[in-house]
Amino acid sequence: MNSPEPVNTMTTRPSLLEPGKNLKKRYRTDLWFQRIGITAIFLSLAFIALLFFQIISEGYTAFIQTNILLEVEFSEQAFAKENLATADYPGLIKKSLTDTFPEVKSRNGKKLLFSLVSSGAAYKLQEMVEANPKIIGTRQKMWVAAASDVDMLMKNKIDRKAPEENRRLMDNQLAWLDILKSQGRLEKQFNQTFFTTGDSREPELAGILGGVKGTALTLFITLTLAFPIGVAAAIYLEEFAPQNHWTDLIEVNINNLAAVPSIIFGLLGLAIFINFFGLPRSTPIVGGLVLALMALPTIIIAGRASLKSVPPSIREAALGIGASKMQTITHHVLPLAMPGMLTGAIIGMAHALGETAPLLMIGMVAFIVDIPGAITDPAAVLPVQIYLWADSPERGFTEKTSAAIIILLAFLMTMNSLAIYLRKKFEIKW
Amino acid sequence: MKASHLLVAGSLSLFMVSPAFAARDYISIVGSSTVYPFATVVAEKYGKTSSTKTPKIESTGSGGGFKLFCGGVGVDHPDITNSSRAIKDSEIKTCADNGVKEIVEVKIGYDGIAVANAKTAPQFKLSRKDLFLALAKEVPDPKDPAKLIANPYKTWKDVNPELPANTIEVLGPPPTSGTRDAFVELVMETGADTLEAMKALKKADKKAHTKATQTVREDGAYIEAGENDNLIVQKLQSNPNALGIFGFSFLDQNGDKVQGSSIEGKLPTYDAIADGSYPVSRPLFFYVKKAHVEVIPGMKGYLAEFASEKAWGKEGYLADKGLIAMPDAERKEMAESVADLKVMEGK
Amino acid sequence: MIYPSIIPCILVLAAGVYLLGLRRAEKVAALSGGLREMHSLPTHYGVFAALCCALPALFLLAIWMVSEEKIVTHMISGNLPAEYLKLPANKLSLVINEVKNIAFGGFTATSGNPAIEQAAAAYVAHLHATRNIVSIVVLFCCIVPAWFSLRSITKDLRARNLVEGAARILLIGCAGVAILTTIGIVFSVLFESLRFFQSVPLADFLFGLKWSPQIAMRADQAGSSGAFGAVPVFIGTFLIAAIAMMVAIPIGLLSAIYLSEYAGASFRNWAKPTLEILAGIPTVVYGFFAALTVAPLIRDIGTVLGLTVSSESALAAGLIMGIMIIPFVSSLSDDVIHAVPQSMRDGSLALGATRFETISNVIIPAALPGIVGSILLAVSRAVGETMIVVMAAGLSANLSFNPLTAVTTVTVQIVTLLVGDQEFDSPKTLAAFALGLLLFVFTLVLNFIALRVVRRYREHYE
Repeated sequence: MNSPEPVNTMTTRPSLLEPGKNLKKRYRTDLWFQRIGITAIFLSLAFIALLFFQIISEGYTAFIQTNILLEVEFSEQAFAKENLATADYPGLIKKSLTDTFPEVKSRNGKKLLFSLVSSGAAYKLQEMVEANPKIIGTRQKMWVAAASDVDMLMKNKIDRKAPEENRRLMDNQLAWLDILKSQGRLEKQFNQTFFTTGDSREPELAGILGGVKGTALTLFITLTLAFPIGVAAAIYLEEFAPQNHWTDLIEVNINNLAAVPSIIFGLLGLAIFINFFGLPRSTPIVGGLVLALMALPTIIIAGRASLKSVPPSIREAALGIGASKMQTITHHVLPLAMPGMLTGAIIGMAHALGETAPLLMIGMVAFIVDIPGAITDPAAVLPVQIYLWADSPERGFTEKTSAAIIILLAFLMTMNSLAIYLRKKFEIKW
Repeated sequence: MKASHLLVAGSLSLFMVSPAFAARDYISIVGSSTVYPFATVVAEKYGKTSSTKTPKIESTGSGGGFKLFCGGVGVDHPDITNSSRAIKDSEIKTCADNGVKEIVEVKIGYDGIAVANAKTAPQFKLSRKDLFLALAKEVPDPKDPAKLIANPYKTWKDVNPELPANTIEVLGPPPTSGTRDAFVELVMETGADTLEAMKALKKADKKAHTKATQTVREDGAYIEAGENDNLIVQKLQSNPNALGIFGFSFLDQNGDKVQGSSIEGKLPTYDAIADGSYPVSRPLFFYVKKAHVEVIPGMKGYLAEFASEKAWGKEGYLADKGLIAMPDAERKEMAESVADLKVMEGK
Repeated sequence: MIYPSIIPCILVLAAGVYLLGLRRAEKVAALSGGLREMHSLPTHYGVFAALCCALPALFLLAIWMVSEEKIVTHMISGNLPAEYLKLPANKLSLVINEVKNIAFGGFTATSGNPAIEQAAAAYVAHLHATRNIVSIVVLFCCIVPAWFSLRSITKDLRARNLVEGAARILLIGCAGVAILTTIGIVFSVLFESLRFFQSVPLADFLFGLKWSPQIAMRADQAGSSGAFGAVPVFIGTFLIAAIAMMVAIPIGLLSAIYLSEYAGASFRNWAKPTLEILAGIPTVVYGFFAALTVAPLIRDIGTVLGLTVSSESALAAGLIMGIMIIPFVSSLSDDVIHAVPQSMRDGSLALGATRFETISNVIIPAALPGIVGSILLAVSRAVGETMIVVMAAGLSANLSFNPLTAVTTVTVQIVTLLVGDQEFDSPKTLAAFALGLLLFVFTLVLNFIALRVVRRYREHYE
């Protein structure tokens, strides 16, 4: 780029209307600057593209899952003495596998063979038997989830060519898998588990429903608290508040709170809600309260902006025909400002949805398998689930992490598009 | 005035969140990150095969776990704490001071402590003496062994000429961790006592000896990498020069990424730890508040699941996760004491 | 018995009283010659009566809920045998805790002391009795004022003013939540920080050059010495924030200038919202991306160039954080540039200046205070950002200005100190609150200055 001399040329040249030698150079500088500007924009856009490409290419495989077709014999004797819950379901799976590969005799060989099937298969058998005890005594063909390593192999995330000691699957395991595959008993199918279960220690059994439900409960609390309070505060500040130091203080305060690091809100939650009020740890109620305080400034600022955009003539007209100030606001100003307020609230919620740091402070990082059903059940939210999985060493969790990110981004996109739609649809040009 | 009604209802929900003395219907477990992978597997199996809720498990480190556990009796406090070492007298006292008097100790098996590095780097052959000299804050002066000086060693070669000339960079757990306690006891102390100077010190001044053997250097050679052993594994992968200290189960799970260094000529393998020939192994425990067993639903079932042969037995699923099973007799005895909820005697 | 459902009870009553008030107002209106004669609308009378019914009762209930614990505990400790009363306070609270556990948690007495069991039974009885009394009093406080308010409905009652006054108080209360939040933040970090400064002198904390917050947790453990000097932590924070700003300021500012001065309307319309996507991506996603993709990439590049790059270099975290901050810089400075009056642009262009000359000689100087303000806001965001650094930056506090080494940040330290061992007495956990206080004060000052500058600037051109 040329150095910016024009400052001097402007003052020293007698007339700018006279085209001089410098004119071309000056326009070239302008062009260069324009190019740099557009490069800056495209750099950011390229990064967005790269991020999305990376996440999606890493994560889409989590939506399919390698399954193995097993023929399981629900022999009467396996259910002879015990009640259904304590029967040896893993034994049934093991028997089915040894029946398929009768040549495997050694203890070590069996261990390797059994490790091909996910431990979740046994739970599936249990569910089947409990749902329909009549299948005892029959032989059933069924698809069960393969272990994560097998899944990774089928998705080409484990290198078959690597030397055996650096590979998580041994040579004979590969051979068995090839046999299964040639018989059509090894297939990639839609991964239903991922959408219907909570966290698990096995990547192939881990799902995001727990995180999604936890997020929904947390955001429910956040919305029911932050929206009414935010709207009320915005109405007060915009319509009623007198111009004095108090109002100034509140205003400065709200603007500052909007920029306070989110982790500080986590410290607030830990000290006030958990240690002072004794609310249970790791629960959506505490998470929701903290996020509500965090989302409040955003909602108030957006609410004030949309109240401000309602023209004074509306207020004057209502006041003119005898409405009180409160009636003017509730009957006329608020309905007109509502779309803008909703947009602000949705954007605030979207921020709360992606927030992780304050939740780390209030014990929401825990191993929680059950799907939460109430606001006082322990729960993980989606971003925290992503954080937990990102820290897990099993390779299978990398794709689960990316898949969970895809889901989270999808939710965010939906919320933001809803906000844009609302704004477009109800935007009134005065 | 509908809006104001809504507002009233909204503010009412604030009142609903008053502190409640609610019963808890799930088990709350805290404690060691070394036991965490085993406890979570048991919890998950138990939750899926029984009608009660799956226990909630937070990984807080053994020391942090005891602190929460000893906070008191009642649903606000955890029911079980996992630990990678036996409970200490000071902790029993803290517990008793807070009203936690009846504690059931359950030993679940053994874990070796591995010193490992990334597979991309050459394997280390270490001795406990090397590790002590490399990691202690103060070591005997090579010129005048009676005097302790700040650790002067920068590379492994300085410690032992047979080792490579890499900078000493060891990632390990902080003092809250049971792995750290065990490492200090099993490696640093025994390593120190191979030195004449330290032996002499032990006789002369017990306290100074403890301090010298247990204090890890703080000049950056030993990096406290947090409680999360997974993180250490990940960091080793990206830094081939570093060594990491963590439980055998993590080595077992990540055998394709990291390799254990041999200590006194023995590699950390399942068999070597089970037969005791690998020198650095320690028992793993969890501790149960007896007062909670009858109150919190599912406690008995969880304990029974943990103490069953299919879990902690030689062929059990915990062995697949890298837990080293106790000998048969010890296991049987322990299972009985779990069934009877035998309260541990004060030491 | 009614106690658990007291709030719904009050609400149902209030709804009923609302209807009664409505009915009564209509009746009064009919008697005194039509609605026009009334001071307020019938709904106002209804709401007035309902408020009279619900507010005193809810107020009373709130007071009770706050003080219940203390009152009942006081009652049972009076009932305990004399030998317990002589115990020191912490022992006594243990006993009371046991009593409560037996009463509610379904625990059995560990000490087997019959006195404790008796106390537990008494506790339950007392609680039930007092709760019943409170329920009755609360309901009484519902019905009596409601009855009086219904009686007081006449055509001259200024119901609307009263109701609107109450609504206004509610609005003020909601606006006050923001103040309460700030107070809550200050208190929650201040108290713990003060306790921290009792064991670690303030000067050591602020000016100490060594940060190693690992100290022995038990009496019989020899830990490290434990040093709490915050300087390396802050240096690390600023190093990462500086890298982030080096990415964010040029890209953000140039984007803003291009979008507001050069770009056509259609390009602007799609490029601007697309850029804002960057601000909407959750930070945990950035952290994952930084740790999984960017950090190894930088390491590999460093190895090719023959540099030793730490696996969690400040560079990786800083780069990604910079990208996250681009939209903050660009949208804020876009606003600022827009506020520069069009007449100034026109004047410059009319003198024959090129657009670049207009930008560099007229617009930027005019907008500079606002731009500086928005950059300060972005810095405060970078300093307080947590997840990216937790996932991609280091834990060890190195006093280093080299972007290729691992440094730690304030937020990382807060997370590592607090996640895990959440007990409230060791200096280790208290240190997190001291760091939090420092972070809060720092960002507060930064925000305050930035908002001031931006506001002043806006007023200048309005």
